[in-house]
Amino acid sequence: MEYQPKVIGFLCNWCSYAGADMAGTSRMDYPQNIRIIRVPCSGRVDPLFVVKCFQRGADGVLVSGCHPGDCHYTEGNYHTRRRFALLREFLDYLGIAKERLRVEWVSASEGQKFAELVSDFTSELAKLGPRSKI
Amino acid sequence: MNLFVSEDALIRWLDALLQERIVIAPVRVQGQTMFQPISKADSCQLSAVSNTTLSPKGWFLPPTETLFSVQRDDGQVELVPALVEQDAVLFGLHPCDAKGIALMDKPFLQEPGDALYRERRSRTALVGLACLQVQPECFCTSMGSAPDDPSNVDILLTEVEDGYIVQVVTEKGKSLLPQGLAEYKGKVPTPPKLPAVPTKEVISAMRELFNDPYWEQLADRCLHCNICAYVCPTCYCFDMRDYADKGKVERVRSWESCQSPGFSLTAGGYDPRTTKGERLRQRFYHKLLYFPEQFQDVACVGCGRCVRACPVNIDIREVISDLQQVTEAKSGS
Amino acid sequence: MELIQQIRDKARKLLEEGAVEGIIGYEQASDGLTSRPLFAYDPSATERLIFDETCAHNLVKYLLDKKGKKMAVVVKPCDSRAINLLLNEGQIERDKVFIIGVGCPGMVETNWNHKSETLQAKCRSCQLSKPLVYDFLAGREIERQAEEETYSDITEAEAGSVATRREFWLEQFGRCIRCYACRQVCPGCYCPVCFAERLEPLWVGIRIAPEENEMWQTIRSFHLAGRCIGCNECERVCPVDIPLSLLNRKLEKDVKGLFAFQAGLDPEEPPPFATFKKEEKLEFGE
Repeated sequence: MEYQPKVIGFLCNWCSYAGADMAGTSRMDYPQNIRIIRVPCSGRVDPLFVVKCFQRGADGVLVSGCHPGDCHYTEGNYHTRRRFALLREFLDYLGIAKERLRVEWVSASEGQKFAELVSDFTSELAKLGPRSKI
Repeated sequence: MNLFVSEDALIRWLDALLQERIVIAPVRVQGQTMFQPISKADSCQLSAVSNTTLSPKGWFLPPTETLFSVQRDDGQVELVPALVEQDAVLFGLHPCDAKGIALMDKPFLQEPGDALYRERRSRTALVGLACLQVQPECFCTSMGSAPDDPSNVDILLTEVEDGYIVQVVTEKGKSLLPQGLAEYKGKVPTPPKLPAVPTKEVISAMRELFNDPYWEQLADRCLHCNICAYVCPTCYCFDMRDYADKGKVERVRSWESCQSPGFSLTAGGYDPRTTKGERLRQRFYHKLLYFPEQFQDVACVGCGRCVRACPVNIDIREVISDLQQVTEAKSGS
Repeated sequence: MELIQQIRDKARKLLEEGAVEGIIGYEQASDGLTSRPLFAYDPSATERLIFDETCAHNLVKYLLDKKGKKMAVVVKPCDSRAINLLLNEGQIERDKVFIIGVGCPGMVETNWNHKSETLQAKCRSCQLSKPLVYDFLAGREIERQAEEETYSDITEAEAGSVATRREFWLEQFGRCIRCYACRQVCPGCYCPVCFAERLEPLWVGIRIAPEENEMWQTIRSFHLAGRCIGCNECERVCPVDIPLSLLNRKLEKDVKGLFAFQAGLDPEEPPPFATFKKEEKLEFGE
């Protein structure tokens, strides 16, 4: 059976999750590899969650929020930006390829963007192969 | 009668043992020496002069082990106990560490006994190595052992020129030996002398000093990490937890230490040892009073690992000496 | 000797006057060669205070055990960054600490009963001639002949492929016995309940194995990102020689590069993860 990457997606309730919903209602196709977890804000996503995902077998993690400047809680995604700029680099340093952690800004009307980005992410992960388990 | 095994014959002996048993021996690991299973004879780094960073107790009580797992499948429940798969030999441990294992036997083999420990213990042979030199932190002779003490091993090796004297101590040891070893007729090295730690009155001193401010004062610098307990050959506290994952439950046992904040926290929220002094005191009381009261032997073998490893130099030899001074001062003698 | 006498005299005076309840300093260790922390509550105990090139311990951590009590503490320049960190994070009150500062020639690598001539790595690039904050300076400022900080150890560790780095770190994390000495000695680690001790949710658990150790090490370092002041005590106390500085310095380098921030230099400056710049894009395009 062909390798199917396991992708965990943390989507902010107000923008990205709504965007994903829109992709669904518009019948846009995107790979089923992604498992979505709804959070109030991308700023809710603790680096702890991301590392735990990788530890438990995720091949890729997506963190998606409102566009900077449009955060439903005004500032949350500014913190997301800083946090994950550092974490991506750190995880790559520790041997978890940078490409496996994606941070994207998807608004509620960007269903197409969401579908495309999941598709792109999944095929990139398929090429990278499974994350080596301990 | 002592036998002799040459350096080459020792390598061949290890190779032969590797065919049938797991061989756990001292191995160089990034600048330190640790007891680890070896896959080839020349990985074994015996030393008659220094000791490993961690004691070999980890073979009998591993840092982590699964005691059993429970699987549920289609209504069927299956309990899978952990199994000891193979015979083993612990090779090159010093008499202090062998005494440490003998001390751990007391609680772990006391009826009903710990099944996994018992199984490993009976299937593991102990080949000891006498010490030709001691380190400044060693004090085994004050703790009931000696650099050439054969009492807790199956075979005791002593390094000489070109090889090792082989002293067979038990029948199990005898069955382990390769064929054709010649008798050793040479001189047996004199064991090194060690400085004495005054242990004579320590147990009675402990009985009097439970509420003494000495413990809070000593604990001021204690970090309450777990280093002393983890490097120690006789500390054996553990934590046990069940982990469930997709219908499978595993009961895991891991090392823990009374020094950790929260070690003695109970489910009601009550913790009998909230202060640093109470926690530090507990470790010394266990080793120097409670264990001897229960098992008639002090739970310290004088290996000195805690002295070397403690980041803030809490030195058990100093504590033993201090305690007796404090009682003397109190009794006004 | 002059420096040591000044420390002793000051400490004795503080205790005699009742200005502080206790002094946290250094005394000789049981090997007669290296040092260990000393807590002096009686003026006569101040005679045991020393200061030499084996006094690497960061004593600032102990202030967190003595909250509410006025204490004096002997502080080297690197340790003073820990004071600034704890002031910034509201963990100590400035008027409850009397800081006996010392200029530092650099600490040598030591183990129990071993004192080498080699300067500790963290000291080689230290530019600080005296603590950043103090109430009394014992001795004088010491001009440091410091090497430039190039993070060459980090550049080296960044090299190679993702797979080789993975292998390296798994091997290092595999040796961890979760003694938590790194956490206990760190002035930045003071959570009443550490994430590793939590059961609900269970982040790490009790198993001592590479997977769990990786969680432990990765997240602990990340919790110190932008907060680690570089005292390197964690690496010094690790009983199995895990190169923790390679984790903390990597984060220090990146935080410097991304946010132009270094912890512990200014107690008033907001830390990088408590603030943001609206216009910065970092690598995310917007």
